[in-house]
Amino acid sequence: MMKWEKIGQIFEFETSPFKDRYVSHAQSPQALVLEDRVRVFFSTREADQPGKFLSHVQYVDYDFEFKNIIDHSDHEVIALGNLGCFDEHGIFPLSPVAVGDKVYGYTNGIARRVSVAVETGIGYAVSSDNGKTFQKYGEGPIMSASIHEPFLVGDAFVRVFDGRFHMFYLFGKKWSQATEGQVSERVYKIGHAVSDDGINWQKDNRSIIEDMIDENECQALPTVIQLGERYHMYFCYRHMAGFRTDKSKGYRLGYAYSDDLINWTRDDKSAGIELSDEGWDADMMCYPNIFECNSSVYLLYNGNDFGRSGFGIARLTS
Amino acid sequence: MFKWNKLGKVFDPTTITGKEWLHEYAQAPATLVFDDFVRVYFSCRPERDSNGQFVSYSAFVDLDRNNLFNIIDIAKQPIMELGKKGCFDEFGTYPVSIIRENNEVWAYYAGWTRCSSVPFNTAIGFAKSTDNGETFKKLGDGPLLTYSPDEPFTLSGPKVRKFNGKFYLFYIAGDKWVVVNGRPEISHKIRLATSDDGLSWVKHNKDLVPDSWGENESQASPDVFFANGTYHMFFCGWVPSSFRKTKSRKIGYASSKDLIHWTRDDSKVGIDISDDNDSFDNEMVAYPHVFELDGKVYMLYLGNEVGRYGFGLAQLEGELI
Repeated sequence: MMKWEKIGQIFEFETSPFKDRYVSHAQSPQALVLEDRVRVFFSTREADQPGKFLSHVQYVDYDFEFKNIIDHSDHEVIALGNLGCFDEHGIFPLSPVAVGDKVYGYTNGIARRVSVAVETGIGYAVSSDNGKTFQKYGEGPIMSASIHEPFLVGDAFVRVFDGRFHMFYLFGKKWSQATEGQVSERVYKIGHAVSDDGINWQKDNRSIIEDMIDENECQALPTVIQLGERYHMYFCYRHMAGFRTDKSKGYRLGYAYSDDLINWTRDDKSAGIELSDEGWDADMMCYPNIFECNSSVYLLYNGNDFGRSGFGIARLTS
Repeated sequence: MFKWNKLGKVFDPTTITGKEWLHEYAQAPATLVFDDFVRVYFSCRPERDSNGQFVSYSAFVDLDRNNLFNIIDIAKQPIMELGKKGCFDEFGTYPVSIIRENNEVWAYYAGWTRCSSVPFNTAIGFAKSTDNGETFKKLGDGPLLTYSPDEPFTLSGPKVRKFNGKFYLFYIAGDKWVVVNGRPEISHKIRLATSDDGLSWVKHNKDLVPDSWGENESQASPDVFFANGTYHMFFCGWVPSSFRKTKSRKIGYASSKDLIHWTRDDSKVGIDISDDNDSFDNEMVAYPHVFELDGKVYMLYLGNEVGRYGFGLAQLEGELI
């Protein structure tokens, strides 16, 4: 049983300097632990044509107690894609991993479609300045749809375990047929791929986390940490429909563990973290990111309304 | 220069009745030779939908082997279904390339989806037939070959070949979207991938053929034929700024000894638009496909409006050297 102590909301969009340039949201916080600070990347929204927005990556820097914001980005961290590219309409999220003196950034690129809302793909970019800026590896994705994962490949989380790159990511299973007055909804699951160089990946081509709700359960944003001999995964999951407005169908945090990175046992009741009774994370919890810093394990996550107001953090106590 | 003698139009889709999915267009012909007939795959369209947009299907006509102008059969239905909601081939399966393998017939095709900032995106799919190429079943809902760092969008126009036991897939990939009069037009380049099994492909990530027609030249239909110790590639192309004009598409030629390095020489191509005002190909010749039958070498190609009114046949006089 994991046990978390909530430290609380540590980033509030409305009172942040980002409010001048962006409309709302600080989604999918992801940590990069540096020598003197923790850099937390997130995606925020720029207004686009009516009813549409563009997601951009920005960051804030924290001290090791997460009490003070000591710096923030006020520049373009990574550019959106050119006309027709997989990441033309947004990057959400960017997931960093330090490799040697570089930082690899795995992006979820978003491009709008006509019959469904969007298609996504996983991009790869490298930073040589501790994540201040990222240079893309080509204009296209390093991983996207394939024969058995027909769409919505994204949300990559990459770590090196036992000398090999492991990626946990999301892939689409289906788009529902839209009924009268409704939009087409997506169903997605969590997959796993391995790589020797972090660029060329071999997919397992299977869903690694069992469903708890039903076959239309949507599972997103896996994050994995090794503690002792065991690998622990957090992710978020929700119902296929009704999740935007019905609290009982919205995102929750799920949990699974594995001793071999292949077979995962889902065990949400051991997650050790739940909705608050009231406040910023009382209706929804989503987009978790787990990391270690100064011998403590932390969990960044978004709360209500997919991170509209910002993000918070919890610390593992046992 | 090669010499292609035009024999006339073989198939006009606008003369077919009773098939709503085959209203017009017979694009990107590709042959599969049988004992008594030559099956020619092509891609066609029903009338525009309520949004004024087309979908495209692929089908075939069977031509009498002894008289290629004698149509003896036509597909009863499209050879494969359009993709499911949100899939890469939801709005079109065009064009298609066919090869026999293990008593099956394999198809590589471009799937079409519709986008928001640009009109479409395409990726290459795979399907198999166990009934001599009449119907095809997709291996899965997703694409076989799709976007990658050096090929960010619009993979299309696959032409599969097998040389010396190895699979070669010639195809096109988007180089950039060029905005012409406010409208994005795609500039494609000819690319190559190779495979030992036809399913796992290694992209070469290089443009095979240099431009010669103009800036942002868009290339298509890289059709490769082996003869007399040389690989001959006939392809077509256009310049996006002239895309909407007539007489915009041309056929080009390149040759290679090793399938990797290609030398372009359009002056050898030996086929151009007809002078005759009534001819179906007096504005355009496009989407060449070269094949050998009973000791003769033929080229199928599209005429005006990119095959809206069908494809024609030409026969090689002399040799491809």
